[in-house]
Amino acid sequence: MSHRRLVRPWSIAVALTLVLPLVLPNALLTIYIFIGLSTMVVSGLSLLMGFAGQVSLGQAAFYAIGAYTAGLLSRDLNVPPVLGLAIAPATAAAIAYVVGLPLLRLRGHYLAFGTLAFQLITLSAIGEARDLTGGDTGLTAIPPLGIGPLIVEGPFKPIVFGYLAGGLALLTLLFNQHLVRSRPGRALRALATSEAGALAAGVPVGRYKLQVFALSAAYAGLAGGVYAFFVSYIAPGSFPLVRSIEFLIMATVGGLGSVWGSAVGATVVFLVVQVLQNLGTLPGMPLRAPAVFSYAVYAVILIGIMLGLPGGVVPAIQAMWGRRGYHVRP
Amino acid sequence: MQYAASGVATGCAFALVATGFVAIYRVTRVVNFAQGVFAVIAGMLAYTLLGQGVPHLLAEMLAVVAAGAVGVLIGLVAIGRRGTSPLASLIITLGLGIGSYAVLILIWGDQPISYDGFKGNLDVGGVTMQLQYVLVVLLTGLAFVALGLFFDHTYLGRGLTACSSNPRAARLVGIDVTRMGLVAFGLGGGLGGLAGVLLTPMQPVSFNSDVAIAISGFAAAIFGGLLRPGTALIGGLVLGVAEALVAGYGQASLQSGVALVIMLGIMIWQAGRRSIGTGEDTA
Amino acid sequence: MLDVHDLVVRYGAATALDGVSLRVDRGEMVALIGPNGAGKSTLLNTICGLLKPASGTFHLDGRVAQVPEGRQLFAEMSVEDNLRLGAWTIRERDPGRAYALFPPLLELRQRIAGTLSGGEQQMVAVGRALMAQPDLLAVDELSLGLAPMVVDDLAQHLVRLNRDKGMAVLLVEQNARLALELCPRAYVLEAGRIALTGSSQELADSPAVRAAYLGAALDEVV
Repeated sequence: MSHRRLVRPWSIAVALTLVLPLVLPNALLTIYIFIGLSTMVVSGLSLLMGFAGQVSLGQAAFYAIGAYTAGLLSRDLNVPPVLGLAIAPATAAAIAYVVGLPLLRLRGHYLAFGTLAFQLITLSAIGEARDLTGGDTGLTAIPPLGIGPLIVEGPFKPIVFGYLAGGLALLTLLFNQHLVRSRPGRALRALATSEAGALAAGVPVGRYKLQVFALSAAYAGLAGGVYAFFVSYIAPGSFPLVRSIEFLIMATVGGLGSVWGSAVGATVVFLVVQVLQNLGTLPGMPLRAPAVFSYAVYAVILIGIMLGLPGGVVPAIQAMWGRRGYHVRP
Repeated sequence: MQYAASGVATGCAFALVATGFVAIYRVTRVVNFAQGVFAVIAGMLAYTLLGQGVPHLLAEMLAVVAAGAVGVLIGLVAIGRRGTSPLASLIITLGLGIGSYAVLILIWGDQPISYDGFKGNLDVGGVTMQLQYVLVVLLTGLAFVALGLFFDHTYLGRGLTACSSNPRAARLVGIDVTRMGLVAFGLGGGLGGLAGVLLTPMQPVSFNSDVAIAISGFAAAIFGGLLRPGTALIGGLVLGVAEALVAGYGQASLQSGVALVIMLGIMIWQAGRRSIGTGEDTA
Repeated sequence: MLDVHDLVVRYGAATALDGVSLRVDRGEMVALIGPNGAGKSTLLNTICGLLKPASGTFHLDGRVAQVPEGRQLFAEMSVEDNLRLGAWTIRERDPGRAYALFPPLLELRQRIAGTLSGGEQQMVAVGRALMAQPDLLAVDELSLGLAPMVVDDLAQHLVRLNRDKGMAVLLVEQNARLALELCPRAYVLEAGRIALTGSSQELADSPAVRAAYLGAALDEVV
């Protein structure tokens, strides 16, 4: 049975993006915002892992870089917040370019450790630069987002951020969809299956990998910028290694290289973890239950997907419905 | 000099972790992201056993054996099913490492744990060294000798080497490559566990210490391209001493950075020597 | 002792063997010739248990050991280690038998396998397979990359093994002339199917085989 005509993901997505921020109560709206931000990061990671076929454990670092850039610029240099929001992804992408030049020559497990090292070094650097970043205690009093006299504060703040996060997430998905179908996108897909083959076909492998890396960093940086303005306080502890792994799990659950996979993965994983954390804080639960639950669930999901549905959830569903989407199996 | 001594001791522990990486990688071509977990589990288990009154050497030995068993379990999940690609196995070991956090917190909580090693000092050629350090070096040396004997002089050891040398031919000859992989994982587990029981008296461990340990071990292992235990030993010692010197003469907080920087440096240098686009398998 | 019936083996979507049937009796020496990519190695790997057939059966009455294409030795290990590993599945690990068959190996026993010449490596490969005390020796491309004199020498060893010890041999070869000279009976495998079978004399006389595999001039066929 074909659902081709019945299900139009874009229409549904646009409708949700327009309606949900108005309809959801604040607590759920906050979750929606975080899911939106995660989707942005994960969509970049999914592209990177899907096309380059490699594991990156450093996305949280770019998230942090974006957040700190936006926060510092608007707090200490009085840069208009919206401009700061635009500079954040640019900074992240620039750093990714520089770091990626040597780093992307690594493959497989070497790249995994390399990105892990990058993540840890970045966090260390942020923590060490006490004068600039406030060190381990963090960056406080980040000014609110706003354009000129219009400041996003008060009861409307979650709704505005809901539109911002949701809208940006939708835009990144749209861009990815376009990218995957374009000529460079198809070249990148060749890269995923066989790097030697792509090289032989004249695809500038090194350059494309670097560009995807920078793009994924930009997505993460932008999301980080929004995050900084939303929570108004960031510290190295907000971007632990576990966050990078969380993004990885979301990407693999959704399906590497699958455009919708990032949204589905982010939503599923975030909600599951949220539910379990709520369970863990119920009265009567031991103190460390939330941590135990989240670690356990990360592990189960990651291992389960790798063993059961290595291609991810979205491609599996697409296969069931007879649609063909692009995805990569590790 | 004191710094160098403690550096040599931690370096030996890193070398053991590194050899665990090598053992597993050679046979299965999988990099075990959970390699540090073995050290933490063994350290914590030894702590508990010692607290229960189990005598010193026995407690450590049991902990090491337990770590080996955990290794086999991890191996089962990571490579037990045919058709799991090395990349998928890597991600699975990552997942298992995170899963171990849940188990460790459940049993031992989230605070650092340590226990007393061998107290006292030893006079070696006019230099006073902590007995614990001497013990670590001795045991590491023994472990390496035992490993060498195992790989070079036992049939099973030869079988393991065959798997890493030519998996196809190994299968042809009748070797169950998956089972050998599990043996390798068990070996890696035991080596990691030994590192753990040696490290814990010197540096308290908690549930997420495995990352730093794994990074140091990996950094040492890549000295020999993940394939040579002897070079990994050298790497471990270099790393241990470098870290100790940085902590002593530089800033303590930069200590963990040493392993990261060295690791990145070596990897990038090695990648530069290999031409891009050759070899479709991981690195 | 080897009975293959309608064997179908697939690699993903590609069909490597499309209903292959053949037979090797005890003590027989049978050749399997055919072009590159016909599926000869696939057949050997299947009967040696490395591949699972999609359908069809094969029945093996005894042990089979393979001398793989390209030798596939454990290059970093010594000759002696390579030989001893051949006996992984049985108790008897003394390489004496192999040395008796290939005396040069005795001198080379401590040499690292990767440093040997092609012919010496092939001897090790055959010796390693024999260590498993098989009833059927499956030899994949014996002649590949070896000088003719070396190949002849090895071939004579095989013939002697077959004649004196009654060992069955399934000889997979691109060098059809050699295969048909050594083995009384042969199969021709093309594109995953048995195209021809018969005594080696019949096949050597057949115009099709002559044209395709024995380098006969075109006008001879037409």
